Amino acid sequence: MSKPNVAASTPARAPLDKAAFVQLQPWLARELGADRVEVVDAVLLAGGAVQQNWRLDVQVTGGPRSGQHAWVLRTDAAASLDVSLDRLSEFRCIEVAHAAGVKVAEPIAASADEALIGRPFAIQALVSGTAQGRRIVRDPGLATFGEALAGEIGRELALIHAVTPRAGVLNFLPVPVTNPSRRQVAEMRKGLDGASERRPALEYVLAWLDANAPEPAGITLVHGDFRTGNYMVDHGRLTAVLDWEFCHWGDPREDIGWFIARCWRFGNDDKVAGGIAKLASLLDGYNANAAVKVSAAELAYFEVLAAARWAAISLLQGDRFIKSGERSLELALTGLMPPEMEWDALDIIDRLAARGRVT
Amino acid sequence: MTAKRLGAEALLELVAETFRTEIQPELGPEKRYLAAMMANALDIARRELAVEEEALAFELLDAIYEDGDGTPAQLAADIRSGLVNDASHPELRKRLKASLVNELKVRNPRFLALRGIKS
Repeated sequence: MSKPNVAASTPARAPLDKAAFVQLQPWLARELGADRVEVVDAVLLAGGAVQQNWRLDVQVTGGPRSGQHAWVLRTDAAASLDVSLDRLSEFRCIEVAHAAGVKVAEPIAASADEALIGRPFAIQALVSGTAQGRRIVRDPGLATFGEALAGEIGRELALIHAVTPRAGVLNFLPVPVTNPSRRQVAEMRKGLDGASERRPALEYVLAWLDANAPEPAGITLVHGDFRTGNYMVDHGRLTAVLDWEFCHWGDPREDIGWFIARCWRFGNDDKVAGGIAKLASLLDGYNANAAVKVSAAELAYFEVLAAARWAAISLLQGDRFIKSGERSLELALTGLMPPEMEWDALDIIDRLAARGRVT
Repeated sequence: MTAKRLGAEALLELVAETFRTEIQPELGPEKRYLAAMMANALDIARRELAVEEEALAFELLDAIYEDGDGTPAQLAADIRSGLVNDASHPELRKRLKASLVNELKVRNPRFLALRGIKS
């Protein structure tokens, strides 16, 4: 969580309609080096709480992309949040991941110029498959493809973590100069200072995380929200890693802890790797491709970190309803979830303490 | 369950039951998730009516503060500052977990059942 602050940051905007995309055509032609671009059709897809997704069917004439294309235009929703990267910064992260060989929906173009369609947006290729976590973990074919899928995911994580801070690469993302796990704790505490509720168990978990933070296994690109529900699966194969808005530089194990956290297994608790497979399958895929190998034993800390982070985010999501007045039942119910992650975090700490690994 | 008294609890229970049996099956797939959230919210509200909110954290606070002096917010601040910790209160983690179980009995009994905890 790079900026755990959920105050609404933009005023409400009028909903987009299909006509708005006509204005994109000359701009797209310039961006793509084409003679002409026509948006033939635009359909609003079922979207997340934070952004809108539109399917664009596009005819490009001339230039390297000449032909028919199905793309997705992703924009900020009417009320966007400070918790995530802006659309253009996220797009830059996706471009870097794409160049590093990570499976992402191909980045096409992006702009923060509000003169175009009234808000920042990014366009990527349409990718086949489903990203719905519940559907993936309940797929009857999971027994056949789950372990191999986890291996693919491990490989993708390793490719993301092969990107390290260097001149000219994502310079807008701050490089941690102190322990990245402790920095996460500090950011969560800062976010919670503005929350409607102070929770003793969460503070205990944060104090534990602060006291037990390991030395980083390196500073790499971290996706920040790589979990079941944020990747696309088609016929049992991974087609794209989605939702890069929490991308940052940090300890690569943070991503793995987030992926395996119990709160992201969608009820398939015995399948530690995101509710789809054994942890070993994920780590085999990861370690075969990663510069720094990761063992199961060192991940317990990052599972606790993940549980704390989701507890903090869910508390702040509830505040969007209770403090900021967003009338959403999903936000309200999410705001009731912190005790679940707090209990899981304390349970892991109990087990580590019983083994004498930590206090 | 037969209602003992025709009050808020009984009404919420009946509304949730009627919603699940009469309304939910009539809805299309695009509204199923919303309907499930609504039924869940009604259940949480009903269970919350059956407990006193202050009682949920009472045992935890009573073990740490003089009678009636502590609040969850105070305890959160004291844990962050280091005033309250495992050394000063060796049973702290156990008591925090017990208070979470009290909350989860209201908010998500299924979470407890999945972890083998009686609610």
